[in-house]
Amino acid sequence: MTTAAEAAAMMPEIQMDQVSMRYRANSNEVLALQQVSLTIGKGEFVSLLGPSGCGKTTLLRIMADLLEPTGGTVTVAGKTAKEARLAQKYGIVFQSPVLYDWRKVKANIAMPLELMGLKKAEREKKAMELLELVGLQAFKDKYPWQLSGGMQQRVAIARALAMEPEILLMDEPFSALDEFSRERLNEELLSIWSAVRNTVVFVTHSIPEAIFLSDRVFVLSPHPGRLSAVVEIDLPRPRTKEMRNSPEFFRLIGRIRDSFEGV
Amino acid sequence: MKGRSFLANGRWQPALVWAIALVALWEAFSWYLLEVREVPLAQSKLPYVHEIIQTFGNYGDTLFKEGKVTFGNAGLGFLLGAAAGVVLAILMSVSKPVEQLTFPYAIASQMIPILGLAPIIYGIVHDEKLSRILIAGYITFFPVSLNMLRGLRSVQPIALELMRSYAAKPWSVYWKLRFPASLPSLFSGLKIAAPLAVTGAILVELMGAQHGVGVIMLRNLYYGPSHTYMFWSTVIVGAVLGVLSYLLISVIERIAAPWQPDLRAKQGGER
Repeated sequence: MTTAAEAAAMMPEIQMDQVSMRYRANSNEVLALQQVSLTIGKGEFVSLLGPSGCGKTTLLRIMADLLEPTGGTVTVAGKTAKEARLAQKYGIVFQSPVLYDWRKVKANIAMPLELMGLKKAEREKKAMELLELVGLQAFKDKYPWQLSGGMQQRVAIARALAMEPEILLMDEPFSALDEFSRERLNEELLSIWSAVRNTVVFVTHSIPEAIFLSDRVFVLSPHPGRLSAVVEIDLPRPRTKEMRNSPEFFRLIGRIRDSFEGV
Repeated sequence: MKGRSFLANGRWQPALVWAIALVALWEAFSWYLLEVREVPLAQSKLPYVHEIIQTFGNYGDTLFKEGKVTFGNAGLGFLLGAAAGVVLAILMSVSKPVEQLTFPYAIASQMIPILGLAPIIYGIVHDEKLSRILIAGYITFFPVSLNMLRGLRSVQPIALELMRSYAAKPWSVYWKLRFPASLPSLFSGLKIAAPLAVTGAILVELMGAQHGVGVIMLRNLYYGPSHTYMFWSTVIVGAVLGVLSYLLISVIERIAAPWQPDLRAKQGGER
């Protein structure tokens, strides 16, 4: 099969070249990211994996144009990250769902559509489609705080997909959930993604989560934050929960763990 | 479901028992002062409740009429003050220089005693109605602007980043995020301000006016012991107006922001 890496080389969606990020904390200078270069292909699902302090979230925020790197360049679909943001190419899901308390579930999902200037009928239709996609039709008229944490995060995912973004950026979206919900949402996310097929960049500190979801895993190491390995996940799709117990799965876990110890 | 809640669940019963006990205690103590201890001017100190109720019966229309004048002026001033407070809070949240320039003065303005300010304002505008409105507005202004500002600032940074990722216009960020998020704070400011506005209006009336609760309050105080019951009636009317203003804001809050955390628990049974 053509590897995802080859696909990435053909149709790059996100390219980062020598991206660095320095913070000034008091009088000390902290190097959060040291010359990270990577290419993510169109339609690829990649994870940024690493322990706390490795700069994975910083890297994601630079891709999203929520942070400006102190060095290097970011190219998203042939444009700068800012141009891509202004062209509404991003959907973002954070660790907390960040839902609007004053809006019911359906209206939460419709928020980006309102900002795009869609007509009411179109918004309704699109919001209902998204609710169906994440399996929450029955909860459309509930307030966010009436839902469980996992449901809230599914609303956040639906909302992030509302603008039909080319790129979905997810910053540890399931890390606040218990292990069981997390695994179930991993499966749900893949089934949603198989319907949408956009580019996904997923930040996590869970090795099994990164393996289960991704085409490729970018392993980051801390102090200073840098890219230490890229691991190809050659498990076939669609992924099933049985694969979590397969020898290949454990082999990949071992490989990624080794790549940490190597640094 | 909501309609039956208060009457059907029997929560009013303890409240009723409590109220009856309080009135009985009052009556007993009033009788004790008057008949047992024979304190001079006993009825001015703690009048019989039934006498006050009788006064309400006899002079209800007057009290109602004057109360309406006070409430109307306080309400108008309240609306103006609240509007000004909201506008200033928005300006302060948009621009740091505006905040630094105006905030110290807003605080300093609260140091001026209303008792001193009222005659000054009356001296300038020469209109009792207008002075009442201005004082009520002046009192309302500060708690509203302070709470509104806090509400506008209560938005999580991450929610602003989300707006940024949508490439939302600054105007949309206000209208769709900051403003709705500020409603719970705004209402707590309005609930503080509303009874204060009523008190402020009464205070101005005490200083010389033709109409209002404050006017008959002062007049009956002036007439002395023979008008004790009427005086107490006016005090009670003043208090009722304050409570009424608070309840009115609470009702509006329930309609405008039923989602806010303070109102969630009471909806109950949903979870």
